[in-house]
Amino acid sequence: MSLRLNDLVVSHAGKVLVETAQLDFQPGKPVTIIGESGSGKSLLAHAIMGTLPHNLKAQGSLVVDGHVYDVSDQANRRRLWGRTMSLLPQEPVLALDPTMRTRDQVAEGAPTFRTDKQGSRRAADALLTSLGLTHASTAFPHTLSGGMAQRVAFAAATIGGAPVLIADEPSKGLDQRARAELAELLRSHINSGGILLTITHDLDLARELGGELLVMKDAHVVEKGAAGEVLTNPAHPYTRRLLAAEPSQWRHQWMRNTDGIERADGAVGGSIESSGTVLVSGAGLGKSFGGQELFTDLSLEVRAGERVALSGPSGSGKTTLGNVLLRLLPPDAGTVQHSDLLQRGRLQKLYQDPALAFPARVSLAESLGDVVHRHGLDHTRLEELMDSLRLAPELLRRRPGQVSGGELQRIAIIRSMLLEPVLMFADEPTSRLDLITQEETMMCLMEQVDKLECALVLVTHDDALAAAVTTRTIALGTPSSVTVPELELSAP
Amino acid sequence: MTNAVAMQELLPAPARDSKRSKWLADRTVMQLVSAALLAVLVIFAVAGPLIWPDHAVQDLSRFLEAPGASEPLGRDHLGRSVVARLAHATQLSLVMAVLCVIAALLFGSLAGIAAAWRGGWVDSLLHGLSEVFIALPALLVVLVVSAIANGDLWTLCLGLALAQWVEYFRMVRARSGLVLAGPAVEAAALLQLGPVHIIRRHLLPELRPLLTTMATFGLGSAILALSTLGFVGIGVRPPTPELGLMITEAFPFYHEAPWMALAPVLVLTTILIGLLGLRSKESQA
Amino acid sequence: MTASITTPGSSAGPSLRPALSTTARVLGRRALQAAGVVVLVSTACFAMVQSLPGDIAFRIAAGRYGYDQVTAASADSVRAELGLDQPAWLQFLDWLGGLVSLNLGNSLVTGASVAGELGLNLASSLQLAAVALILALIVGTTAGALAASRPGGILDRLTTVWVSATRALPPFLLGLVLILLFAVHLGVLPAAGHGEANNIVLPAVTLAVGLSGLFARVTRDTMATIRQSEYVRFAATKGLGSWLLFLRHIIRNTGVTLIAYVGVQVLVLIEGVVVVESLFAWPGLGHALVHAIFWRDIPMIQAAALALALLVVAMNTLVDLATAAVDPRPRHKEAVL
Repeated sequence: MSLRLNDLVVSHAGKVLVETAQLDFQPGKPVTIIGESGSGKSLLAHAIMGTLPHNLKAQGSLVVDGHVYDVSDQANRRRLWGRTMSLLPQEPVLALDPTMRTRDQVAEGAPTFRTDKQGSRRAADALLTSLGLTHASTAFPHTLSGGMAQRVAFAAATIGGAPVLIADEPSKGLDQRARAELAELLRSHINSGGILLTITHDLDLARELGGELLVMKDAHVVEKGAAGEVLTNPAHPYTRRLLAAEPSQWRHQWMRNTDGIERADGAVGGSIESSGTVLVSGAGLGKSFGGQELFTDLSLEVRAGERVALSGPSGSGKTTLGNVLLRLLPPDAGTVQHSDLLQRGRLQKLYQDPALAFPARVSLAESLGDVVHRHGLDHTRLEELMDSLRLAPELLRRRPGQVSGGELQRIAIIRSMLLEPVLMFADEPTSRLDLITQEETMMCLMEQVDKLECALVLVTHDDALAAAVTTRTIALGTPSSVTVPELELSAP
Repeated sequence: MTNAVAMQELLPAPARDSKRSKWLADRTVMQLVSAALLAVLVIFAVAGPLIWPDHAVQDLSRFLEAPGASEPLGRDHLGRSVVARLAHATQLSLVMAVLCVIAALLFGSLAGIAAAWRGGWVDSLLHGLSEVFIALPALLVVLVVSAIANGDLWTLCLGLALAQWVEYFRMVRARSGLVLAGPAVEAAALLQLGPVHIIRRHLLPELRPLLTTMATFGLGSAILALSTLGFVGIGVRPPTPELGLMITEAFPFYHEAPWMALAPVLVLTTILIGLLGLRSKESQA
Repeated sequence: MTASITTPGSSAGPSLRPALSTTARVLGRRALQAAGVVVLVSTACFAMVQSLPGDIAFRIAAGRYGYDQVTAASADSVRAELGLDQPAWLQFLDWLGGLVSLNLGNSLVTGASVAGELGLNLASSLQLAAVALILALIVGTTAGALAASRPGGILDRLTTVWVSATRALPPFLLGLVLILLFAVHLGVLPAAGHGEANNIVLPAVTLAVGLSGLFARVTRDTMATIRQSEYVRFAATKGLGSWLLFLRHIIRNTGVTLIAYVGVQVLVLIEGVVVVESLFAWPGLGHALVHAIFWRDIPMIQAAALALALLVVAMNTLVDLATAAVDPRPRHKEAVL
């Protein structure tokens, strides 16, 4: 088995989106492409597979076991799908038919499906069992967690026995534990002599997979080499910048010494080194959702000037706990007290998706103008903040949807900082951003937090980020054997 | 999978032009043509009754007179001027439809916002009421009300509004509920921004396009319901000219006097096509 | 924000409990709706009695016997029949009471039992509605599916024209055109009547044309979206051919939307039934209703209006149950329409 891609160019309306010379893939040696969104890495994968959007133009050739395929004709690879090449999709929850049981969705990928449906179903059951999904075989996709759905998709993609597996951002939306399981699955494909191409922006996944690593930026591969080598001794400035943006590598003025993770299951003791006044205190808090207990008898305090992380795997209730502490959600048991210092808007919140945190159909200038007007602030304060967060004033003329995620999060930071908060609650503020943007955004936030000596509660599933930014972690949820999926309900 | 990727990677930087040219650029050819057609009809409905005021004058000697210089659309089976009757009927249809849509829209959306905002018993009550109304075909409501109305135009208008409010209510309640429960409104509350801000910046901008679309729909169905009532002989009473009534009356004479039937049919379909065209987004997709 | 969390227990195999509770919920909601409809319609009919100008009894008697034959005695008998000598609130309670005991009363015009007449009307209306719905579904979904197979192609454009045409032509005009064409000019089909097989053709086609346009539009849009969906694209990369993709993924998921849409279209269907029956003198509920309104036959108006509204509720109940059977996902949001 061999796979080679020659002189690929993908373009849209004359603009080159991907341009690579020759890429070789060998059995047993994983290839991973990293890069920020917009670098063209996903397009490269889809160009190989033949699943590019129709408005894109592709040139080049793909050689599969000596057989040459012209990349510009997407249809010529359809007969390879499932048997020679298969794709592990980006968001497995969306990639499964919502009205079909998982077993049937896996079985239909089997080579013998057309002739022997019963046999294919048995094969699907066997494969699902080997992936630890025995009970999930008769389940419908909406009952699966992200990690389980990813394993079902893996089963469906590999049951056809395709030696070439292309994984497009497979760890998107998965927590650390699910990502470790995913890495193991991908390695098992390699170990059985398959070819693996993984597209990711997740350096940890790249590290776990090993093999060959390609770094893409602005449509080109800028660095290439053994994963271990590239990730420890990067040669290209971009790769260096990327690695330095990992929270564990951060060195910033606003950072404090970090140590110790304390567990919050049961009573929280823990001395707080800060002697500030108590801003928020919760006593005996308990909350459950849909019969699932998220936390019980939880007591904690947040003091002025403190930096605390709320961490835990997805579904552990960290966002819920945050909303209870902010008194946006009533607890089932216990009480939450707020200090008077938090009145008059001195308690602010940052959201995971800043686009949803602004009114969608009015310009940012109007949104922020209302805040300035309501609190009788000086308009120059807004201009100063825009300047110190390195944002062009013209951005405010746009609507939220017309600004990039990183910029919008910084504008959200500005909006909160206008009121000089005493406590800032940040709910996964950077989980949708790539590494470099994450660092920029956190710098903007923390410089302001540092300047105002404002307390920070950071909700995150990223332990490294928590360690870099906060001095104390409240960890929720022991990693249990059952994963509870969180269903996101948002505006269509 | 690929489209999402491509959309993200290809999204062009938004270009902003002046407001006016953007408004024009956002309209399709179909929408402009439809707007022009409707404008002509509105002018006819406003000016027509002034030019031809006598829609009730009968002159049996001019029974089924063909269109000519003095009578652009001829005369009907009672020797009445078809163009005068048509102008009055068009005016009646448009005025009734606009009034009904305004009433239904105002009541429906205010109730919808109130239900979403207050929740609790207000929501339960209004939602319960809407659950009953949603099971009633609009025409059925209008028919029953017209039986009470006894030909009274105001009551008929109220009946049309009664048949429509529930659609506005349900859409507005659902959309407002999403907006009010969303992070943007939560953030506004943390920023101490009051109800005026929430209504002006969050709710109204979100509801405006929805209500515009629904109102054009509503106009069409009100006009259709009114003419259907006239057609089956209930609702507007003769001799008041009404499009559906005119079609019924003309039907027996369609062979001898096709203009008599064709005129109201053309006006009615033009209104419906025009309203349909206003909503079309075909060439933008 | 986290809005709901599925318990992991529900993933462990199919259990019948959620399905049963869904059925119970659907039936409960629809039963409440039906009760509300009954109260509302009968209140409106009671208001109708109260709002009749002049001496109602005299008018009704006139309607029944003709103006020349009205006597004081006949007016009195009508007055007693309606209980018009009692205070209004008592009359209202009586009115509702009659309904609860399933006594729909007698027609003020013919004097015959309303329930008996209504049975026949209901049967003919159901017949017409069923034929029209089936016709519309066959034509509409086929056209929509063909259009969706090649968005922007010639079939797609033709379907768009067809959809717009059906939307712009009111059902009564379409019916008139069909009568002129097939009954008057060609003389191949009867314009009115009931009892022979070809009587139903024109009314059913008139009804079906309007509905088919709407079904075509929804089928086309839904199918085009589903063809582009992540799960269909992923299924394609598993190696499924176009035909298997269509059979295994596209049809069922389109069906989920389409069934829900039938529920919305029930209102349009019933409105159409009223219009088309009046036009073609088809002896159904709509015809009876219009006729009763014309003669102010209030017990008949009430019964026909109730029957039509309850028909909507019943059809929607079926749609809800069918949706619950096809789509395993829990209903997070209630349908907006």
